[in-house]
Amino acid sequence: MKNEKRKPINKKKLTNHLTAYAFCAPWFIGFICFTLFPIVFMFAVSLTNRKLNGISNFVGFANYVNMVQSPTFWNSIKVTLFFTVVMMVVTTIWAVILAMLLNYKQKLNGIFQFCYFLPSVIPTVALAYTFRTIFGKEAGLLNAIISQLTAKNVMVNWLYDKRTIYLAVFFITLFTYNTGQMMLIFRSGLNDVPRELYEACDIDGASPFRKFFGITLPMISPIVLFNAVMGCISALNGSFALLYPLTGESGDPNGMTQVLSLLIYKEAFSNMKVGYACALSVVLFLIACGFGIGIFAVSKKLVYYEN
Amino acid sequence: MNSAKAKKRAGRILIFILKILVAVIMFSPIIWVFSGGFKNLTEFTTSSDIIPKNVTLENFNYIFFHSNYYLYVRNTVLLMAGTTLGTLISSSFVAYPLARMEFPGKNLIFSLIVGTMMIPGIALIIPQYIMFGKIGWLDSLLPMIIPSFFAYPYNVFLFRQFFRSIPKELDEAATIDGCSRLGVFFKVLVPLSKSTFTTIGVLSSVFWWNELTQPVFYINSDKWRTLTIALMTTFMYTSGNAFVINWPSIMAASSLMILPPMLLYLFGSRFLVEGIKTSGLKG
Repeated sequence: MKNEKRKPINKKKLTNHLTAYAFCAPWFIGFICFTLFPIVFMFAVSLTNRKLNGISNFVGFANYVNMVQSPTFWNSIKVTLFFTVVMMVVTTIWAVILAMLLNYKQKLNGIFQFCYFLPSVIPTVALAYTFRTIFGKEAGLLNAIISQLTAKNVMVNWLYDKRTIYLAVFFITLFTYNTGQMMLIFRSGLNDVPRELYEACDIDGASPFRKFFGITLPMISPIVLFNAVMGCISALNGSFALLYPLTGESGDPNGMTQVLSLLIYKEAFSNMKVGYACALSVVLFLIACGFGIGIFAVSKKLVYYEN
Repeated sequence: MNSAKAKKRAGRILIFILKILVAVIMFSPIIWVFSGGFKNLTEFTTSSDIIPKNVTLENFNYIFFHSNYYLYVRNTVLLMAGTTLGTLISSSFVAYPLARMEFPGKNLIFSLIVGTMMIPGIALIIPQYIMFGKIGWLDSLLPMIIPSFFAYPYNVFLFRQFFRSIPKELDEAATIDGCSRLGVFFKVLVPLSKSTFTTIGVLSSVFWWNELTQPVFYINSDKWRTLTIALMTTFMYTSGNAFVINWPSIMAASSLMILPPMLLYLFGSRFLVEGIKTSGLKG
């Protein structure tokens, strides 16, 4: 009897739940087909010696054994970790600087935002080629500027010199899509910091630095976290589109820029070892998971949440 | 008091100068690209002047009249329109119950969505390549367009943040007036979220217009080549010598490629800051 009494309410609840699930259905199907299945499939293929033409045999953990014995692999791991961490830090800091400059209300702000944001809508390939010529040895813009300033004939091959390659690459990351997007998110976040806090600070006569580290940074820390996560993913993900046209699949000079995604591409399409490329993909996947867990663990200690 | 005022003024001027300096740094690559397109190969490889000595239109002439430029533009526009349409429809749909309804498993679904945001697409691209090869989708735009109709986690997240900032009372009022869940979505939330639809639409269009990685993996014939791949292939070796990179041709093609995102930005810029809601991130 009791059940019958409840039935109409339950029915309504059930319809509501079903409606919610119906709305979620596209994501669910996509999640199964384009995320979950590929993950499982990737593990499976990594245990075979599958070639690009589709011929494959089960080989157990042979790919992983080959991998850990390969110096190229370890170099690539090192480069990937280094590249991801540095790019994440550099682009996040630069995005904060750009956002703070733009949020300082002055004349011509519209033009400044246009100039700051526009590089990030340039196709990454075009950006890579642009900087290959700007950083070029002969007739490169940068060498020309330095030569003008120092009155010496500077001939540095920025992208092929071991000493300057990282400087050059990280400079280019300031112009990528990700930096521009972070800048927008920071702008919106900085606008949400209550004005009264700064006014209180002004009365106390605090320096701009104290204002930044005492108020701004704690208030926007959740956004810094969000952007750090996005920056980390796009460093892992977007490095291919930047470095493939910039330094090639072997990551010149000497593999110094050969991140895992480049190595995966090279193994799959130049060496046609798809099974091995899948084993590398598994490692990249695990690195991404590691970064995710790491960032959240750090954030629990450092991020300030309003209640 | 006066000295404090003077100090403040000096600070303002200093910041203004800093702004100009940063603007010059950020904008110089764009000027370099545009000027490079008007140089010939000899001048490009010997001089680093911003203003070309002999302005030439040969690069544009080649691109417009002697290459498959219009085919590449068609492919890129198809890719951009298909994926953006797909993600706008599907991601806003999925975000709706996550922002507005209570149902078992909601938190699990949301954590999974945030979790998948953390997986870089490139880690799964090889298994997907094999998968799409089995279905026969390789060398077409389908491997990129079809998945976009099944909601991108990042866009779901942005939609959810925005929907949450719309007062719930509006939904309730509409429900009392006899609106169904679907009705509330189309009559209340969608009209109020124009800025978010525009923002995500612009960001997605720009992303796919510029996307290189997935086309490089999935497309190998000229028929479905996008502009980004054409930049690495068709426009690279046009000097008649297979070993000489024709930089001015790349620069000319690049400047043509920059224009559409630039216009999209000019059109969407007033929505951009407004459309990304971060307030919901706090707590």
